[in-house]
Amino acid sequence: MNAAFPTPGTDASQRLLSPEELEAALRDIGARRYHNLHPFHRLLHDGKLSKDQVRAWALNRYYYQAMIPVKDAALLARLPDAALRRIWRQRIVDHDGDHEGDGGIERWLKLAEGVGFARDYVLSTKGILSATRFSVDAYVHFVSERSLLEAIASSLTEMFSPTIISERVAGMLKNYDFITKETLAYFDKRLTQAPRDADFALDYVKRHATTPELQRAAMDALTFKCTVLWTQLDALYFAYVAPGMIPPDAWQPGEGLVAEPAAPTTGPAGALQASDVPRLPRGVRMRFDQARDKHVLLAPERTFDLDDNAVAVLSLVDGARSVAQIAQALAETYAADAAVIEADILVMLTDLAQKRVLER
Amino acid sequence: MNAVTPQRTAAPAPVGLLAELTHRCPLRCPYCSNPLELDRRSKELDTATWQRVLTEAAELGVLHVHLSGGEPTARQDIVEITETCAKLGLYSNLITSGVGGALDKLQALYDVGLDHVQLSVQGVDAQNAEKIGGLKNAQPQKMAFAEKVVALGLPLTLNSVIHRGNIHEVEGFIDLAVTMGAKRLEVAHTQYYGWAYVNRAALMPNKAEVDRSIRIVEAARERLKGQLVIDLVVPDYYAKYPKACAGGWGRKLMNVTPQGKVLPCHAAETIPNLEFWYVTEHSLSDIWTNAPAFTAYRGTDWMQEPCRSCDRREKDWGGCRCQALALAGDAAATDPACSLSPLHAKVRALAAEEAAENPPDYVYRTIGSNVRSPLKEEIPL
Repeated sequence: MNAAFPTPGTDASQRLLSPEELEAALRDIGARRYHNLHPFHRLLHDGKLSKDQVRAWALNRYYYQAMIPVKDAALLARLPDAALRRIWRQRIVDHDGDHEGDGGIERWLKLAEGVGFARDYVLSTKGILSATRFSVDAYVHFVSERSLLEAIASSLTEMFSPTIISERVAGMLKNYDFITKETLAYFDKRLTQAPRDADFALDYVKRHATTPELQRAAMDALTFKCTVLWTQLDALYFAYVAPGMIPPDAWQPGEGLVAEPAAPTTGPAGALQASDVPRLPRGVRMRFDQARDKHVLLAPERTFDLDDNAVAVLSLVDGARSVAQIAQALAETYAADAAVIEADILVMLTDLAQKRVLER
Repeated sequence: MNAVTPQRTAAPAPVGLLAELTHRCPLRCPYCSNPLELDRRSKELDTATWQRVLTEAAELGVLHVHLSGGEPTARQDIVEITETCAKLGLYSNLITSGVGGALDKLQALYDVGLDHVQLSVQGVDAQNAEKIGGLKNAQPQKMAFAEKVVALGLPLTLNSVIHRGNIHEVEGFIDLAVTMGAKRLEVAHTQYYGWAYVNRAALMPNKAEVDRSIRIVEAARERLKGQLVIDLVVPDYYAKYPKACAGGWGRKLMNVTPQGKVLPCHAAETIPNLEFWYVTEHSLSDIWTNAPAFTAYRGTDWMQEPCRSCDRREKDWGGCRCQALALAGDAAATDPACSLSPLHAKVRALAAEEAAENPPDYVYRTIGSNVRSPLKEEIPL
């Protein structure tokens, strides 16, 4: 069955692969070893986990999220030229945000809070499994110590993540009544960020893995990263599914939760539904601001700066299309999963509706 | 173009232009933000000049134009001016008392593309409201005006300036906003400049009343989520940190007076020795970048301690220069409303003392009155 490491034919391991062959070999690693195949994820996405098991996942995975910018900063520090650093630093911005309350780590905290955790408990990481800590730390060390090519290649699991995110978001929304679209906001961003990051990293690896040895090193690095992810799920399964051996000091169900679990089964008051037809009322309009070279939404006594995603959505808000139809149109344009986009834009449009600058 | 003028500290483009089209107003509110010396009609800019100013504003990067006064609809050309905003893509916000000719002009304003209406209400109880505004029969006119705004489908913001004469009506303002169909409500505690400074003792609420009003607003925000947005401006004297006045001096806002003088904020003229430029003599862009009044307190170079080394210096921008002058006697001092100011304890004590006494009568705003500016008379703290 699956070898511990991918073993291209003897010939292939000796000769230099074309860039296309190299990409195919890398994708093959993901097809066989990426953690979407792990039994714990199958249970998670199919709605077979209890609420406490979902909590254990969210809590442990927080440590991975929190260390990603540390890993990327280590990599950034070794990049020799400004153009590369400009691209790579975006990952740190994505995760850390550029102000309080922004960024991927913050969104993961929201997810953890959404399933009932007290924020401080999650931040302390004191309840995580040792295996989680060891795996994640091993990844940070790997990126700090190995060659730049291997460090960048190890990030290529992002090539496979849109698939898992789509499965996860759709599955979890369908199967768990304690999970809301707001809780899963983390994944909405990753859906567009991950492919962009992966495109760059893949291109880099294809251009710099110029000998059979370097190509082998790149493949091994990606395999290593897959094991980092896989091992974390092994540990979760072992502790919280079967046989249920929770190590001393690791999180026990009931710990670290807020008194009244913040687990709304419905969105906030007045949340938009997929069938709603949103429109910008009189007195709210989007325009291009030439002086600052960006789009803005002008509204009573305030201006909203819009990013590209928001512009794409608001361009389709015309008082005729429903949210579902807008999501469908965007899914076609960006070749992404409509269900995930819909979850994303419902959050954004509900926020605007609560600020009274969008109506339905 | 004045291309030869040297560039000063790089200024971000302004986002807002407060166009004080006229100082004429049927109301006489004792906290009016207009200066004590009001411009007379004969000195007001003509239509063509306002249109040029708006064109320059759009080129400069202004997004929002606040058509204000006085009562802006007292200008015969308010419709033309609003239409110019719409043609330039500028977001037009009519800041009105809703009385006088406002209702008659509303349909025409709507037709030419007015974006938003901010209506002032002085009180909820008509008698109280009319006492504060100094105009009989104002309240029914305001109600009729609000009704028409909402009927036209224009977004309506209700603005209530809060002081000891109406702080007991905060719940009422919230109910009124909901009943009217307003989308936004501003619960704005009086800021003590201009006429409000003269009337401070008559207006200052006590701390317990302020705290209560804040609790009411916070509860209503939660209850009315998605229905009514409530913006709360807390009174400076009771705050921990000062407001970044106008978003920072010369950073976001320009204020053009009826006769075309351009100010970084509406109270800036209280600061002596500042040199203001006029739109009749300079382009708006030149004024924004180079007018001495704008460069005087832009950025952080002018700051003294404790502002100079404070890590909030680019959040608060030192607070309000006019308040620093009025209370500390030095426009470059830290705003005494800031808890880090050495004068802050005195400011709090002063507010508490005034709020504890029986309020004196209002000094109503009037054009050509002989009110002496207390800012020049009073001995700073």
